[in-house]
Amino acid sequence: MSVQVPRNFRLLEELEKGEKGIGDGTVSYGMEDADDMLMRNWTGTIIGPSNTVHDGRIYTLKFHCDLNYPARPPLVRFQSKINMDCVLPDGRVDPTRFAVLGNWSSNYSMETVLTELRRAMASMHNKKLPQPPEGAMYS
Amino acid sequence: MAANQAAQLPRRIIKETQRLLTEPAPGISASPSEDNLRYFNVMILGPTSSPYEGGVFKLELFLPEDYPMAPPKVRFLTKIYHPNIDKLGRICLDILKDKWSPALQIRTVLLSIQALLSAPNPDDPLAENVAKHWKDNEAEAVETARAWTRQFAAN
Repeated sequence: MSVQVPRNFRLLEELEKGEKGIGDGTVSYGMEDADDMLMRNWTGTIIGPSNTVHDGRIYTLKFHCDLNYPARPPLVRFQSKINMDCVLPDGRVDPTRFAVLGNWSSNYSMETVLTELRRAMASMHNKKLPQPPEGAMYS
Repeated sequence: MAANQAAQLPRRIIKETQRLLTEPAPGISASPSEDNLRYFNVMILGPTSSPYEGGVFKLELFLPEDYPMAPPKVRFLTKIYHPNIDKLGRICLDILKDKWSPALQIRTVLLSIQALLSAPNPDDPLAENVAKHWKDNEAEAVETARAWTRQFAAN
Protein backbone atom coordinates (compact mmCIF):
# COMPACT_ATOMS: atom_id res chain seq x y z
CA MET A 1 0.00 0.00 0.00
CA SER A 2 1.43 3.36 -0.98
CA VAL A 3 1.81 6.22 1.46
CA GLN A 4 -1.29 8.37 1.57
CA VAL A 5 -0.73 12.09 2.09
CA PRO A 6 -3.57 13.46 4.28
CA ARG A 7 -5.82 16.15 2.80
CA ASN A 8 -4.46 19.18 4.66
CA PHE A 9 -0.81 18.40 3.94
CA ARG A 10 -1.68 17.69 0.33
CA LEU A 11 -3.35 21.11 0.03
CA LEU A 12 -0.37 22.79 1.75
CA GLU A 13 1.87 21.20 -0.91
CA GLU A 14 -0.40 22.51 -3.64
CA LEU A 15 -0.41 25.96 -2.00
CA GLU A 16 3.38 26.10 -1.93
CA LYS A 17 3.64 24.94 -5.51
CA GLY A 18 1.08 27.52 -6.60
CA GLU A 19 2.93 30.29 -4.75
CA LYS A 20 6.17 29.43 -6.54
CA GLY A 21 4.41 29.56 -9.88
CA ILE A 22 3.83 26.77 -12.37
CA GLY A 23 5.83 26.34 -15.56
CA ASP A 24 5.31 29.15 -18.08
CA GLY A 25 2.49 30.74 -16.08
CA THR A 26 -0.32 29.80 -18.48
CA VAL A 27 -2.17 28.34 -15.52
CA SER A 28 -2.01 29.52 -11.90
CA TYR A 29 -3.97 29.22 -8.68
CA GLY A 30 -4.02 30.38 -5.08
CA MET A 31 -6.11 30.28 -1.94
CA GLU A 32 -9.11 32.56 -1.89
CA ASP A 33 -9.41 33.05 1.86
CA ALA A 34 -6.02 33.19 3.58
CA ASP A 35 -7.70 32.80 6.98
CA ASP A 36 -9.48 29.53 6.25
CA MET A 37 -7.46 26.86 8.05
CA LEU A 38 -9.41 24.19 6.13
CA MET A 39 -8.20 25.62 2.78
CA ARG A 40 -11.49 24.97 1.03
CA ASN A 41 -11.79 27.74 -1.55
CA TRP A 42 -9.31 28.50 -4.31
CA THR A 43 -9.11 30.68 -7.37
CA GLY A 44 -7.48 29.56 -10.61
CA THR A 45 -6.64 31.28 -13.88
CA ILE A 46 -6.04 29.96 -17.35
CA ILE A 47 -4.56 31.98 -20.20
CA GLY A 48 -6.27 30.86 -23.39
CA PRO A 49 -4.05 28.85 -25.75
CA SER A 50 -2.81 30.47 -28.96
CA ASN A 51 -4.29 29.54 -32.34
CA THR A 52 -7.73 29.22 -30.76
CA VAL A 53 -10.65 31.60 -30.15
CA HIS A 54 -9.43 31.70 -26.53
CA ASP A 55 -6.04 33.15 -27.49
CA GLY A 56 -4.87 35.67 -24.89
CA ARG A 57 -8.09 35.62 -22.87
CA ILE A 58 -7.68 35.28 -19.11
CA TYR A 59 -10.24 32.93 -17.59
CA THR A 60 -10.79 32.85 -13.84
CA LEU A 61 -12.39 29.93 -12.08
CA LYS A 62 -13.18 28.76 -8.55
CA PHE A 63 -12.36 25.51 -6.87
CA HIS A 64 -14.06 24.11 -3.81
CA CYS A 65 -12.08 21.34 -2.10
CA ASP A 66 -14.30 19.75 0.53
CA LEU A 67 -13.07 17.57 3.38
CA ASN A 68 -12.99 14.49 1.11
CA TYR A 69 -10.45 16.04 -1.26
CA PRO A 70 -8.28 14.58 -2.86
CA ALA A 71 -10.10 11.23 -2.56
CA ARG A 72 -13.00 13.03 -4.25
CA PRO A 73 -12.59 15.69 -6.96
CA PRO A 74 -12.99 19.42 -6.28
CA LEU A 75 -16.04 21.34 -7.53
CA VAL A 76 -14.90 23.54 -10.39
CA ARG A 77 -16.76 26.52 -11.76
CA PHE A 78 -15.76 29.13 -14.33
CA GLN A 79 -16.27 32.73 -13.27
CA SER A 80 -15.41 34.09 -16.71
CA LYS A 81 -18.03 33.20 -19.30
CA ILE A 82 -16.87 30.59 -21.76
CA ASN A 83 -18.48 28.44 -24.44
CA MET A 84 -16.98 24.99 -24.16
CA ASP A 85 -18.40 21.46 -24.37
CA CYS A 86 -17.68 20.53 -20.73
CA VAL A 87 -18.95 23.78 -19.17
CA LEU A 88 -22.60 24.03 -18.09
CA PRO A 89 -24.68 27.20 -18.72
CA ASP A 90 -23.97 28.43 -15.16
CA GLY A 91 -20.19 27.99 -15.46
CA ARG A 92 -19.84 24.67 -13.64
CA VAL A 93 -17.49 22.16 -15.19
CA ASP A 94 -19.54 19.03 -15.92
CA PRO A 95 -17.72 15.95 -14.56
CA THR A 96 -19.59 13.72 -17.02
CA ARG A 97 -18.00 15.63 -19.88
CA PHE A 98 -14.57 16.29 -18.41
CA ALA A 99 -12.61 13.12 -17.69
CA VAL A 100 -10.19 14.60 -15.14
CA LEU A 101 -13.15 15.17 -12.79
CA GLY A 102 -15.27 12.24 -14.03
CA ASN A 103 -12.47 9.68 -13.69
CA TRP A 104 -10.79 11.45 -10.80
CA SER A 105 -7.64 10.03 -9.22
CA SER A 106 -6.26 11.25 -5.89
CA ASN A 107 -2.96 11.81 -7.72
CA TYR A 108 -4.59 14.62 -9.68
CA SER A 109 -4.43 18.17 -8.37
CA MET A 110 -5.87 21.59 -9.11
CA GLU A 111 -2.93 22.04 -11.48
CA THR A 112 -4.05 18.91 -13.39
CA VAL A 113 -7.57 20.34 -13.71
CA LEU A 114 -6.32 23.70 -15.00
CA THR A 115 -3.81 22.17 -17.41
CA GLU A 116 -6.36 19.74 -18.83
CA LEU A 117 -9.06 22.42 -19.15
CA ARG A 118 -6.56 24.51 -21.09
CA ARG A 119 -5.80 21.52 -23.28
CA ALA A 120 -9.55 21.01 -23.84
CA MET A 121 -9.86 24.65 -24.98
CA ALA A 122 -7.54 23.78 -27.86
CA SER A 123 -9.44 20.63 -28.91
CA MET A 124 -10.85 20.46 -32.43
CA HIS A 125 -14.35 21.00 -31.12
CA ASN A 126 -13.65 23.85 -28.68
CA LYS A 127 -11.05 25.91 -30.41
CA LYS A 128 -13.46 27.48 -32.91
CA LEU A 129 -16.69 27.81 -30.86
CA PRO A 130 -18.14 31.34 -30.78
CA GLN A 131 -17.38 32.99 -27.44
CA PRO A 132 -19.12 35.52 -25.19
CA PRO A 133 -17.54 38.99 -25.05
CA GLU A 134 -14.13 38.99 -23.41
CA GLY A 135 -14.36 39.72 -19.68
CA ALA A 136 -18.03 38.67 -19.32
CA MET A 137 -18.71 36.89 -16.01
CA TYR A 138 -21.31 34.42 -14.75
CA SER A 139 -23.49 36.10 -12.15
CA MET B 1 -7.02 -2.60 7.27
CA ALA B 2 -5.01 -1.13 10.16
CA ALA B 3 -3.26 -4.45 10.71
CA ASN B 4 -2.45 -4.71 7.03
CA GLN B 5 -1.11 -1.15 7.11
CA ALA B 6 0.99 -1.80 10.20
CA ALA B 7 2.67 -4.71 8.43
CA GLN B 8 3.88 -2.26 5.79
CA LEU B 9 4.99 0.39 8.26
CA PRO B 10 8.74 0.79 8.86
CA ARG B 11 9.82 -0.64 12.19
CA ARG B 12 11.13 2.72 13.30
CA ILE B 13 7.68 4.29 12.98
CA ILE B 14 6.05 1.42 14.87
CA LYS B 15 8.59 1.79 17.71
CA GLU B 16 8.14 5.55 17.91
CA THR B 17 4.36 5.21 17.93
CA GLN B 18 4.40 2.62 20.71
CA ARG B 19 6.63 4.77 22.85
CA LEU B 20 4.51 7.90 22.28
CA LEU B 21 1.48 5.97 23.48
CA THR B 22 3.08 4.22 26.46
CA GLU B 23 5.42 6.98 27.69
CA PRO B 24 3.91 10.27 26.54
CA ALA B 25 5.96 13.42 27.16
CA PRO B 26 4.41 15.75 29.77
CA GLY B 27 1.80 18.02 28.24
CA ILE B 28 1.90 16.25 24.88
CA SER B 29 -0.24 13.51 23.36
CA ALA B 30 0.06 12.01 19.90
CA SER B 31 -1.93 9.13 18.46
CA PRO B 32 -2.07 7.77 14.93
CA SER B 33 -5.34 7.99 13.06
CA GLU B 34 -7.08 4.71 12.32
CA ASP B 35 -7.04 4.90 8.56
CA ASN B 36 -3.51 6.28 8.17
CA LEU B 37 -0.82 5.21 10.63
CA ARG B 38 1.53 7.93 9.37
CA TYR B 39 -0.97 10.64 10.31
CA PHE B 40 -1.13 11.67 13.98
CA ASN B 41 -3.60 13.69 16.00
CA VAL B 42 -1.54 15.75 18.40
CA MET B 43 -2.42 17.82 21.45
CA ILE B 44 0.00 20.15 23.20
CA LEU B 45 -0.84 21.93 26.44
CA GLY B 46 0.21 25.57 26.58
CA PRO B 47 3.33 25.74 28.79
CA THR B 48 2.98 27.32 32.23
CA SER B 49 4.20 30.93 32.48
CA SER B 50 3.62 31.41 28.75
CA PRO B 51 0.77 33.35 27.13
CA TYR B 52 -0.58 29.97 26.01
CA GLU B 53 -0.97 28.60 29.54
CA GLY B 54 -4.37 26.99 30.05
CA GLY B 55 -4.81 26.31 26.34
CA VAL B 56 -5.10 22.95 24.62
CA PHE B 57 -3.66 23.16 21.12
CA LYS B 58 -4.54 20.64 18.44
CA LEU B 59 -2.01 19.84 15.75
CA GLU B 60 -1.68 17.34 12.92
CA LEU B 61 1.52 15.52 12.05
CA PHE B 62 2.34 13.44 8.99
CA LEU B 63 5.34 11.20 8.37
CA PRO B 64 6.16 11.43 4.65
CA GLU B 65 7.28 8.42 2.68
CA ASP B 66 10.99 9.25 3.12
CA TYR B 67 10.76 9.73 6.91
CA PRO B 68 13.13 9.63 8.82
CA MET B 69 15.39 10.91 6.03
CA ALA B 70 12.95 13.80 5.66
CA PRO B 71 11.32 15.61 8.62
CA PRO B 72 7.72 15.11 9.72
CA LYS B 73 5.21 17.66 8.51
CA VAL B 74 3.41 19.43 11.35
CA ARG B 75 0.73 22.07 11.52
CA PHE B 76 -1.40 23.73 14.22
CA LEU B 77 -5.14 23.19 13.80
CA THR B 78 -6.00 25.53 16.68
CA LYS B 79 -5.68 29.23 15.92
CA ILE B 80 -2.71 30.70 17.79
CA TYR B 81 -1.14 34.16 18.04
CA HIS B 82 2.60 33.51 17.78
CA PRO B 83 5.33 35.16 15.66
CA ASN B 84 6.63 31.81 14.36
CA ILE B 85 3.24 30.31 13.44
CA ASP B 86 1.24 31.63 10.50
CA LYS B 87 -2.50 31.92 9.86
CA LEU B 88 -2.63 28.43 8.39
CA GLY B 89 -0.90 26.96 11.43
CA ARG B 90 2.42 26.41 9.66
CA ILE B 91 5.41 26.46 11.98
CA CYS B 92 8.79 28.13 11.45
CA LEU B 93 11.19 25.81 13.25
CA ASP B 94 14.68 24.95 11.99
CA ILE B 95 14.48 21.22 12.81
CA LEU B 96 11.41 20.93 10.59
CA LYS B 97 13.53 22.23 7.70
CA ASP B 98 17.30 22.40 7.13
CA LYS B 99 18.27 21.37 10.67
CA TRP B 100 16.36 18.09 10.50
CA SER B 101 18.37 14.97 11.33
CA PRO B 102 17.19 11.35 11.24
CA ALA B 103 18.42 11.13 14.84
CA LEU B 104 15.49 13.35 15.83
CA GLN B 105 12.06 11.84 16.43
CA ILE B 106 8.38 12.71 16.59
CA ARG B 107 8.82 13.19 20.32
CA THR B 108 11.72 15.64 19.94
CA VAL B 109 9.82 17.60 17.31
CA LEU B 110 6.79 17.97 19.57
CA LEU B 111 8.95 18.94 22.55
CA SER B 112 10.60 21.60 20.37
CA ILE B 113 7.21 22.97 19.36
CA GLN B 114 6.19 23.08 23.03
CA ALA B 115 9.43 24.97 23.77
CA LEU B 116 8.70 27.38 20.92
CA LEU B 117 5.46 28.29 22.72
CA SER B 118 7.52 29.22 25.79
CA ALA B 119 10.05 31.18 23.76
CA PRO B 120 8.55 33.00 20.77
CA ASN B 121 11.26 34.28 18.45
CA PRO B 122 10.14 37.47 16.66
CA ASP B 123 13.56 37.79 14.97
CA ASP B 124 12.82 34.77 12.77
CA PRO B 125 9.20 35.43 11.92
CA LEU B 126 6.71 33.54 9.83
CA ALA B 127 3.76 35.76 10.70
CA GLU B 128 5.28 39.18 9.89
CA ASN B 129 2.54 41.29 11.46
CA VAL B 130 2.54 39.26 14.68
CA ALA B 131 6.34 39.50 14.91
CA LYS B 132 6.18 43.27 14.40
CA HIS B 133 3.57 43.54 17.13
CA TRP B 134 5.84 41.46 19.40
CA LYS B 135 8.83 43.74 18.80
CA ASP B 136 6.92 47.04 18.99
CA ASN B 137 4.89 46.27 22.07
CA GLU B 138 5.62 42.91 23.64
CA ALA B 139 3.25 43.36 26.59
CA GLU B 140 0.34 44.07 24.27
CA ALA B 141 1.23 41.19 21.90
CA VAL B 142 1.40 38.79 24.85
CA GLU B 143 -2.02 40.03 25.95
CA THR B 144 -3.41 39.29 22.46
CA ALA B 145 -1.85 35.81 22.60
CA ARG B 146 -3.57 35.22 25.96
CA ALA B 147 -6.90 36.42 24.59
CA TRP B 148 -6.60 34.11 21.56
CA THR B 149 -5.72 31.23 23.88
CA ARG B 150 -8.90 31.86 25.90
CA GLN B 151 -10.98 32.27 22.74
CA PHE B 152 -9.71 29.42 20.57
CA ALA B 153 -7.79 26.97 22.79
CA ALA B 154 -10.01 26.72 25.85
CA ASN B 155 -10.50 23.11 26.84
